[in-house]
Parts: sequence; structure tokens; C-alpha cells
Amino acid sequence: MTTISLDNIKYKAEIRQKTAKPLLWIGLISIVMFFAGLTSALIVSKSNSIWIKLEVPSMFFISTILILFSSLTYQLSMSFTKNNQLKFATITTILTFVLGISFTVTQFYAWQQLYQSGIFWAGEQSNPSGSYFYALTALHLLHLFAGLISLLVVVTKSLLKKYSPTNVLGIQLSLTYWHFLTALWVYLFFFLKFIA
Amino acid sequence: MIALVAIVAVLLVIATAVQILKIAELRATESGKEIYEISAKQSKAQAFLLMVFLVAYFGFFAWQVWKWGGLMLPVSASEHGVGVDELMNITLWFIIPVFIITHIFLFWFSYKYSFSETRKALFFSHSNKLEMFWTIIPSVALTVLILVGLSNWNKIMTPISSETEHVLLEVCGQQFMWGARYAGKDGKLGRASVEYIEGVNALGIDVSDENSKDDKIVKGEFHLPVGVPVQFVFRSQDVLHSAYMPHFRAQMNCVPGLKTQFNFTPTITTAEMKEKTQNENFEYILLCNKICGAAHYNMQMNIVVESKEDYEKWLAEQKEFGAE
Amino acid sequence: MSAHQHPHEEQDFLFKYVFSQDHKMISKQFLITGFIMGFIGLSMSTLFRLQLGFPGESFWIIDFLLGSWAENGVMLPDKYLALVTMHGTIMVFFLLTAGLSGTFSNLLIPLQIGARDMASGFLNMLSYWFFFVSSVIMLISLGVEGGAASAGWTIYPPLSALPQAIPGSGLGMTLWLVAMAIFIASSLLGSLNYIVTILNLRTKGMTMTRLPLTIWSFLITAIVGVISFPVLLAAALLLVFDRSFGTSFYLSDIYIGGQVLEHSGGSPILFEHLFWFLGHPEVYIVLLPALGITSEIVSTMSRKPIFGYRAMITSMLAIGFLSAIVWGHHMFVTGMNPFLGAVFTFTTLLIAIPSAVKVFNYITTLWKGNIKFSPAMLFSIGLVSTFISGGLTGLILGDSALDINVHDTYFVVGHFHIVMGLSGIFGMIAGVYHWFPKIFGRMLNNNLGNAHFWITIVSSYGIFFPMHFLGLAGVPRRYYTNSEFPLFENLLDINTLITWFAILAFAGQLIFFFNFVYSALRGPKAPQNPWKGNSLEWTTGVKHIHGNWPGGIPTVHRWPYDYSKLNENGDYVTGEDFIPQIVPLGEGELDGGGH
Repeated sequence: MTTISLDNIKYKAEIRQKTAKPLLWIGLISIVMFFAGLTSALIVSKSNSIWIKLEVPSMFFISTILILFSSLTYQLSMSFTKNNQLKFATITTILTFVLGISFTVTQFYAWQQLYQSGIFWAGEQSNPSGSYFYALTALHLLHLFAGLISLLVVVTKSLLKKYSPTNVLGIQLSLTYWHFLTALWVYLFFFLKFIA
Repeated sequence: MIALVAIVAVLLVIATAVQILKIAELRATESGKEIYEISAKQSKAQAFLLMVFLVAYFGFFAWQVWKWGGLMLPVSASEHGVGVDELMNITLWFIIPVFIITHIFLFWFSYKYSFSETRKALFFSHSNKLEMFWTIIPSVALTVLILVGLSNWNKIMTPISSETEHVLLEVCGQQFMWGARYAGKDGKLGRASVEYIEGVNALGIDVSDENSKDDKIVKGEFHLPVGVPVQFVFRSQDVLHSAYMPHFRAQMNCVPGLKTQFNFTPTITTAEMKEKTQNENFEYILLCNKICGAAHYNMQMNIVVESKEDYEKWLAEQKEFGAE
Repeated sequence: MSAHQHPHEEQDFLFKYVFSQDHKMISKQFLITGFIMGFIGLSMSTLFRLQLGFPGESFWIIDFLLGSWAENGVMLPDKYLALVTMHGTIMVFFLLTAGLSGTFSNLLIPLQIGARDMASGFLNMLSYWFFFVSSVIMLISLGVEGGAASAGWTIYPPLSALPQAIPGSGLGMTLWLVAMAIFIASSLLGSLNYIVTILNLRTKGMTMTRLPLTIWSFLITAIVGVISFPVLLAAALLLVFDRSFGTSFYLSDIYIGGQVLEHSGGSPILFEHLFWFLGHPEVYIVLLPALGITSEIVSTMSRKPIFGYRAMITSMLAIGFLSAIVWGHHMFVTGMNPFLGAVFTFTTLLIAIPSAVKVFNYITTLWKGNIKFSPAMLFSIGLVSTFISGGLTGLILGDSALDINVHDTYFVVGHFHIVMGLSGIFGMIAGVYHWFPKIFGRMLNNNLGNAHFWITIVSSYGIFFPMHFLGLAGVPRRYYTNSEFPLFENLLDINTLITWFAILAFAGQLIFFFNFVYSALRGPKAPQNPWKGNSLEWTTGVKHIHGNWPGGIPTVHRWPYDYSKLNENGDYVTGEDFIPQIVPLGEGELDGGGH
């Protein structure tokens, strides 16, 4: 890791350039550990005799497609920005946001599907396997809301023409987080499908 | 009123201390030094105190062993406990000399090398040889401890095979008492669950289960035949408890929703232990050893170990569950 | 450096002090809040020691301080458990994690690596204020109906999940969980900053192997924290779900308060796994910074390089790594698969090896040194003693077969108080004595410091050493009184002796608090480098400025342990017995202890 000489007063931007991404990455590691704890808990709970193996509701497939697409559109937005095609960049960012909202909607529909098929979150008729379904997906969604907020910030700044091929740090940070959310969802999806 | 006096007293003490400190600072400046400078003489004084402390620390340790050594648990009253106590001795024979030697070096070096204006410290920054030396020696010692430990552990945690004659005893913890249930002549415990708890059936035994008819529930104390292995099954009705029987070197958590097991073979009867400890009132005891609520400190049940005949006689007097 | 500041404008009070983003101010905030919480935790333990040493006796002070938690000057049994729980929580998390790491990581990282400030002053500021809010909520939980959380600092369910099981598991427990969630956020925000700053913002010439061992310890601690704290958050969240929503992650087959509860399919053992996955690394999160601080102080005050710099780093890395795979040794008697138990015994006893290496390296650093005994040095030597004394009993507890008879007895209480509690607090206090001139620009009084040390070490060993005997005799922990068992009758005197030492220890800390406040306000002004240390923090001015160095940041040419280095003539290279890191290497001079 190269060090830079920090002799001048206007170093704040320099520091931000150097440290924003590492800060995000370490934050992502802590989120990974959080979900690692939860999925490990599921594996331990599974060994209880009362565990019922559940089917992933069909809506989750749609969720997966939507979020994968949203990562694609957001990545496109980054390429457009780097190529100075700022109008397309703004459009694809807004598209990403819309896909993110759609993902959220499908999550609610999926929970509705679970409820309809008698899988409850809590209470007498619930089973821990169902509780984990709701808990894992809801907690992912909560982290997604943070992603949606960062998307809104990027959309706004994009409309105000704050980004340029040399100024993409804000988008990069939001994009990395968004890809992380996609990867996390894919992991949770396969985990719930095959293990739970 | 007392509070007021106390507060005033404290304030006066603080004010006095402040004045003393100010004077000390002035005195120091007058002799041309800063009050915070540490002279060789001051270092020597602290070094001396460190040596005094070393002696006092060892003395304290020795005094405690002398004063309380006799108050420790008596000889193990179970078969596996003998191995456990041996392992404890081996471990203590290792750690106590290490404790003594390292402390001697720590405090002796501190004393010997306290500050001197005329001496230069030695620039000695590393030695791979030394590092290897004190990595390998602890590793070897620990390997021994691990091997002996695990062989004991393996023996202890193996359930009794069904062919061996044994007593099957369920102990159920709840806030704040123990319930014990013998398996009866069929050698099987009847099904039990919290759903069946009602009125007199405090342990929640399923009356419809054939196996529960000859189960025997006892209160206040349970008996064990000497020399016969006892297989415990533990459960809890409400929160975590832990069945701790220190004389037998036995402990196992009682978990609601889960059955845990432990087994041991008692080797010394209550009467014999009364002799050994010169204590007429000695009783073996079951204590709760996992925080379980307000009366956690008072959750106990006596254990009586006696000859097989006495045990059979006592057991015969206990009522069967099915005989209502 | 505050975000919107022009060099000649006055910073308003709010941004300069309260919401400061300057690491030195934040470090002070952590120190003060940590010490206040520590004092509260210490008072709690002194109070319940009164009950343990003089069971059932009426005390005015218990009546005065505890109000409805006591009857006729005797504390109530379930409130005893509340005090024990809150004592543990406050001491482990608020004093020894946030207080210790928060103070010294914030103070020393930018100063010792040569940076203007942390990577993100904003996140750093948030980290402190989350800690503050968390502390306030924890303290509020003491006053709510039902009392504070009472299931032990380890809060195992079902006891912690069911208000019917103990009153403190009602609102008190809920607030505990909220406070801890915020605390975890605070800790993670801090760790983020520490890691990124150390890895990315070192000054020119400051390679990783020229870092002081304090920085290495803070780095490893932060990494361990990032890996383990989120799992505690997961554990706490699932507990919240069980408590407030009726899920069954931890609960199953429970009959309490006259009714069968609806939960089924859960297991309390799951909570234990999740909790201890943090819980064990947590004790090393407490210990590692203390060990790093000790390395600095022992080396500086002995006028010798720390012995075995690379071995010290390797052992800290080993300890950090192993700490994540030993958690099961807290669960030997839960009925887990015996094979698992064997694995955990193996890894637990392994961790003794790097610990031993560190102890031997400290002792060798003293050998042929030229030692000045400042209070910081005394406490550092004390730490090596407590680390040995407490660490060795870990070999008994880590051995599963031996643990059966001492698990959850006073043997454990003695062990962890000596190895974690005393080592941790000695490290923190030593750090305060040593870096007080850097934090406050003044010097603490040495005579009071020495008195503080002697009273503390004597009384502390007096409290915790006898506990090993109580534990070997079978006395369980978290017992309101030992007077209910004929088995423990002749051990009651031991409890009384312990309590007397506890009162003495409490009194000794008052000397420290007086010294601290007096010296911070009107202690003698400190010189720039009172201990003649080599590391970069001693090259900054006594008066704090944003950005730490008024001109450029110095370049580093050597490691920080060139004490008493001689040239060919047998004289000190610079004429004095230390060579600061900023001094360039001489002709043909090798760096880093001649590696």
C-alpha cells in the first residue's frame, strides 16, 4: 500500500479517495459476518426434530431476476458515466432504483405467499424454519433500504450533474454496496432453497 | 444528616490533599527538579517494594493453601473422578512451578536492573533460538495435558452400554427445585413433556405410556447403590439449570427442550464418607449451577449412596407412578 | 479537522468539543465516559460484595443507594442478580472494550503512524456518540419497572427471554438489548476507522514492520471485532424476536407461571454458540490492546527494545486467529457432542503457546535493562503478573475433563477477573499514566500513582486469588449467599476476607480519581517527551492542534525500539539512550534491531 505525503491542507479529498472504499469493504465484511451468524444458526436449528423443510415461494425467483438485472443496469450506469454519457447514466440509475423498488414489492408478495401456505413468522402455529425464512429475507431487505437511499442520493446528484468521468467515487461506493446486496440475495436464495 | 457530614468530610479531605500536592510541587521546583522526574533513588525504592511484593505474594499463596487446603472437596466419590483428580494434580504440578519461576524472573529482573545513571542497558532485540526454546517446551507440556485430558474426557462422556447393569435416573430441574424419577423394573423411563403437567403430575409424565407405570418419583433426596453405574437423564421444565454433584466430579446442564446425559459409578457410601471427613452431618448433594432466577442459590437435593441391599430396600418403599 | 472550517474562523463550541471529529478529543470522550461507567460498575461490585461477605446483614449504604432493590438494608436476591449482570456488562463492554480501545486506538493510531486524523472523522464522532447513547440507555435500564437485566452478563435464554422467570427479563432486558445493539454499532464504526487508517494513512517510511506494537494490537483487535461483534448482534436480534414476537429460535417445551408456553423447536444452546462466538474473541478484544500498551511501556521505561518484535506480532496474530475457534470451551457441560468438546480443548490449550511467548518476551525485555519505575511501568509489570497468574488457571478450565467440576464455580470467576479484568484494567491504567501528558498536557503525580498501584495490586489479588479455593471446594457462582448449604459453612470466612479486600480496592481507586482530576486541571505542565520515547506521538507539541503536526508530517527512518543502541565505540549513537523514529539511519546502520 503506497502512502501519500499529506503536507498540504487540502488533503481531505485525497483522504476520502484513499479510504472511502476500504471503509466500505470492511463494513461489508461485518455485514457478511452478521448473515453468517444467522445462517449458521439456521444450520444448528435444523438438527431439531421438529424442523420442517420448506419450499421457496415462487415469487423469490422473480425477486432474484429483478435484483440481478438491477446490478446490471447500475453497472451500465457506471460505464456510461466513465464514458461521459451522463444522460444515459442518469436513466440507468433511475432504472436501477425502479428495479430495486420492484424487488421490494416482490418480497412482500413472497411473504404473502408464505402466509397463504400456512407458514407463519411467529406464534403457536409457527415453525423455526418459517421464522428463519422471514427473518433472513426481511433483514436483507432492511439492508436493501439503505441501498435504495444511497441510490436516491446518486440519482439526485446525477440530475444535478455532479458526476463526471473523473468524479465517480460516490457512484462507485453505492454500486459496490448494491452488487453486495445482489450477491447476498443470491447466497440467501440458494441457501434457503437447498439447505433450509 | 449523616450524609451531609460525610460529604463535608470528603470535601475537606480533598481540599487537604490538594494543598499537600501544591506544597510538594513547590518543594520539588525549589531543589531544581520537576516533581514528576523519577530519580534512581525512587526507582530503587519501587524495585525494593517489588521484591517485597514477590515474597508477600508467594507467602499469601502458601498461607491460603495452609489455611484452606483442608476445606477442599474430599476424595472423589466416583470412579471417573479418580482420573479427574489425578489430571488436576498433574496440571497443578505443571502450572505452579511455572507460576513461581516466571514470577521470580519477572520481579528479580525488575529489582536487579532498576535505574542507574552509570549503567547502559543492553540492546538485545531478538533471538530465534530463545523463541524456539520457549515455544517448544510449552508445546510439549501442553501436548501431554491435552492427551491425558482427552482420554479422561472420552471415558467420562461415553454412555453406559445397555448390557451393563445400571440405575436409570431422570433428574428434572425447575425453578427452584429438583424432581427425580427412577425408571423402574422395565428399565425404561416413560415419556414426559411439559404438556402433561397438571396438578400432582408435576413432572409431566404421560400416563398413557406403558413405560411410565413403574416409574418411581422421589422427593427431597435420591439414593444410589455403591459400585453400580448410574445413567442420568437431565431435563428442565422452564429455564436452564445445571445438575452439579461436586463430590462425584459430575456436572451437566439441564436444558428445556433437550435431554442431556451423564453417568458415573459411586464408589464411597454416605456412611463411609462421614467417616472419612470426620463429619457426622455430611451429605452428598445436588446443587443448581446455572443462573436460573431469584432462588438459584437455594436449589438442592440430597443424595444418599448406600449398599445395594439398602438401596433395593429403600427403592421398594417408593411409590410407583402408575399405582394411584 | 472539522469539515467546514477555514483556518481563521472560530469553531463553535458544539463542533469543537461536543461533536468533535478530532481523534484526540474523541479519545478523551471515550476515556471519561469509560471511567464513569467503570466507577459505576466498581460500585456495584463493592455493594454486592457486602452482601456476599456479610450475608443478610443490614447496611445503610445498601438501603440508601438501592432503594426498592433492598429490604431493611439487605439487597433482594433477584436484584443481587441484576447487580451482578450489570456489573459484568458494564465492565466488559463499556469500560474494557469501548473505554480501553476507544481511548487508546483513537489517541495513538494517528499520532503513532503519522496521520493527521482518522480516515473518517465523521464516523469516528458517530462511534463515540453511539457509545454515549448506549451507556445512557444501559443506565436507564437500572431504574425501570422490574429492574435491570438479571440473567447474568451472558443473558442465556430462556431466563433472559421470559419476564415470568425473573423480573429483570422484562423492560430491563429489552433496554439492555437496545443498548447493546447501539454499542455494537459504535464498536464496528470504530473498528472500521482503526483498520483503514492503519492500513492506508501511514506516513512516508512507516512500513508495517516499523509500527509500534500498540498499533499492531489495535489493528488485530479491530479485525477480531469486525468478525465477531456482528454475530452477537445476530444472537441478540433472534432473542428480541423470541421475546417480542413469539418466535422459537431459542425456546422450546417450557412450563412456567402455571402454563405451557407456545414456543417449540428452539434451543438455548444455539444462543450459547452465537453468544460465545463473540464472547470469547471479546476477552481478547479486551486483552490485546492492554498487551500492546504493555509492550510500549516496558520497552520505553527499560530503555531497551521490546524483545522479539516479530514474535510479538506473530503471537498476537495467532491469538487473534485462535480466539475465533475456542468458544466451545464455555459450553463443555451443555451436553454437546463430546468430539466437539475434544476439538475445543485442543484449540483452547493451543492458545496458551503464543500467550506464553509474549510473557517470556516481556520478561526478557526487562533483563539487563535500565528500568525507571513510573506508575505506568509498575502497572505494566503488574499486568504481566496477572496475565501469568490468571492465564495458567486457564489450562485447568480449558481441559474439558477438569472443567466438569469447576465450570460456573468461583474458580472461573477468579480466573477471568485476574486474566481479563485485572490485566485489562492494569493495561488501561498504565496507558493513562503513560500517555496522560499527551492527552492533557500535564503530568500525573507519581507518589499518588505508586500508592494507587500498591493498594490496587495487593487488594486485587486479595479479592480474586481466594476465589480459586472457593471454586475448587464446589461453590457455584451467581449465588446470592453461600449460607444455605452445610457444605459451604466453613468457607464463609473466605467470603468475608474477600469483601474486606474489595472495600480496600474501591478506596484505592479513589486515590486515582483524585490524582486524575487534580492533574488534568492543575497538574505540572508536561514536557514534550517526558519518558524519552521514540515513537511519533512524542514529536507533536504538547498543545493539541488539528492535524497534529504544524508543518509537514515527519518521515520515518527506523523502527520505534532503538533504545540504548550503541555505535562501534560503545557510545550511544545520538548521545542519548534513545533514537526517535524520525532520525535517519547512520552510515551502515541497520534498521529494526539489526534484522
